[in-house]
Amino acid sequence: MASVITNPVTNANSDRSSRKKKKKKSSAAMSKENQQQSHAKWKSEAQQQTYSSKLIQALSQLSFNSNISSSTSSSPSSPRPGRAVREAADRALAVAAKGRTRWSRAILTRRVKLKFRKQKRNRGSAAATVAAAFSGSSGSRKPRFSVSKLRAKSLPTVQRKIKVLGRLVPGCRKEPLPVILEEATDYIAALEMQVRAMSAIADLLSGSGAAARSSSPPPPISQ
Amino acid sequence: MLHRLESLESCTYDGMDMTTRLKRKQQYYVVQNNNPVELCASSLPQFQGLIGNNLGSGQMVELKRPEDFLGTDDFQEFVNLPVAGPEFGYSEKLDLAPPEAAADYCISWTSSCQITTLNTAVMKEEREDMILEKMESTTGSGRASFNKRKAEAVADHKRNKGEGEGESEVKTKCSTEISRNSSKENSKASEVQKPDYIHVRARRGQATDSHSLAERARREKISKKMKCLQDLVPGCNKITGKAGMLDEIINYVQSLQRQVEFLSMKIAALNSSVELSVENLPMKEFPAYVANFPAAAKLPEMAGLPCFELNPLQKESVKCMLNESMHPPQTEGIASASVSISEQSLSSSSMTQLQPFSTWNMDPQGLYNMYNMGFH
Repeated sequence: MASVITNPVTNANSDRSSRKKKKKKSSAAMSKENQQQSHAKWKSEAQQQTYSSKLIQALSQLSFNSNISSSTSSSPSSPRPGRAVREAADRALAVAAKGRTRWSRAILTRRVKLKFRKQKRNRGSAAATVAAAFSGSSGSRKPRFSVSKLRAKSLPTVQRKIKVLGRLVPGCRKEPLPVILEEATDYIAALEMQVRAMSAIADLLSGSGAAARSSSPPPPISQ
Repeated sequence: MLHRLESLESCTYDGMDMTTRLKRKQQYYVVQNNNPVELCASSLPQFQGLIGNNLGSGQMVELKRPEDFLGTDDFQEFVNLPVAGPEFGYSEKLDLAPPEAAADYCISWTSSCQITTLNTAVMKEEREDMILEKMESTTGSGRASFNKRKAEAVADHKRNKGEGEGESEVKTKCSTEISRNSSKENSKASEVQKPDYIHVRARRGQATDSHSLAERARREKISKKMKCLQDLVPGCNKITGKAGMLDEIINYVQSLQRQVEFLSMKIAALNSSVELSVENLPMKEFPAYVANFPAAAKLPEMAGLPCFELNPLQKESVKCMLNESMHPPQTEGIASASVSISEQSLSSSSMTQLQPFSTWNMDPQGLYNMYNMGFH
């Protein structure tokens, strides 16, 4: 990603026409390649390996943190324990996407925004209000379909569906249709890879768990 | 010399599909003719050699050029001019379009007029820079205004098509003519960047209105993207129309997200029992796992959960997580499935439908089909 950014800068010394030619070629190539190669990119084994290793690292960190902090505090981290794995998986996926797409950038800045909001509220109000507000905000983060269904025939059919799709793909709420379609293409390919990798991890865990359980007596569960 | 260049310029202008900048270029060209000619003469012998060398490749490239209308990079490959580059620093003065250069090139190659070739080479260099400058400068100006001017140019071209085109095309090679005609048939909307000009040619028998041209370009972009999505989403081959396609896409994305949710819960449940450390996991076996289990379908997993070795605490946690994750139950089937699992009873119709599915090795698309069969 850094190379893409600095390309125009480093070529400043070269011939002006060649620099502009490169810029045009890269942008033209990218717009075409993005669509054609997104599926191939997410389908490759290497990508899945990378993602799996990243996810496993994140999971190990997560369990480590929860084990340490479970005795001291009530909840391990800001997302509830139920959502922690999901958040970690999404973030690992966004990192694997290298931030070239809108949805990956939106996922990566999700936690940052929440932390920012939390800090703001912390300064203004007491801790109790913060916890309530934060849990409320995290709960309302999910797209509410009921509100839009109340207004019948608010928009033409296709427009409504475009909005729904925009809300599904992270970071694409206010984007026009072509952008949404492009992001959805990449997002779907990435999600498929995520499902493949996570199911493999789950099988791995269950396999190793079964082996551990069969070999030794079950360890005391400290929760 | 000047006169000849002017005449050449005019006939090429008539003969080619031009963008609007040509109209202004005409004036520029007349004014600036002096300088290039002088310098051309000095570097003539070098260029002659270049012309000879590039003749073969030049003609080959010529075929491609009408296709990548905006591809000024082709020009660079076409004639590698060490001469033209640094010496002719008239980048600020002229404002010419690549198609014009193409026409000039075609004409000059066939007529083997070296000086005009040199000039066109010069022009080409300057044109490129001017185009790019123009693009950068008109970033502020609205697209609509450009489209209007472009439409005028296209309309003008259509009028002049009869007289001018024959003249110029006679001069060019037959192959280039054919390729150029075919490129006119396909309207090109290769959009490089947002502030760039969209070179769209109106198809035969279609409106040349600027608005309709822009609309057509936009619609083609969208349909191209929808086709890409159609390949990704399973079961979309039969569906035509944007609404149905969007429905399918939405359903698919939702099902994928739900799968991720279930898998994350499963991993969390397993995580709590198995201490996850890097040494624990047989990382070497990972590729084998990845190959053998493309994706264990989650819904059959849910059907098999009662058979799963869960101690009571884990069952509790799974139940809680299942209830938690069902925020807006999109389909009744899923909700009932979760309820049935939490109750440890598989009496609901949806679950009985799922039970026979014992295939565990399913990729997400297969799962999606099964999901469709079960709930629709």
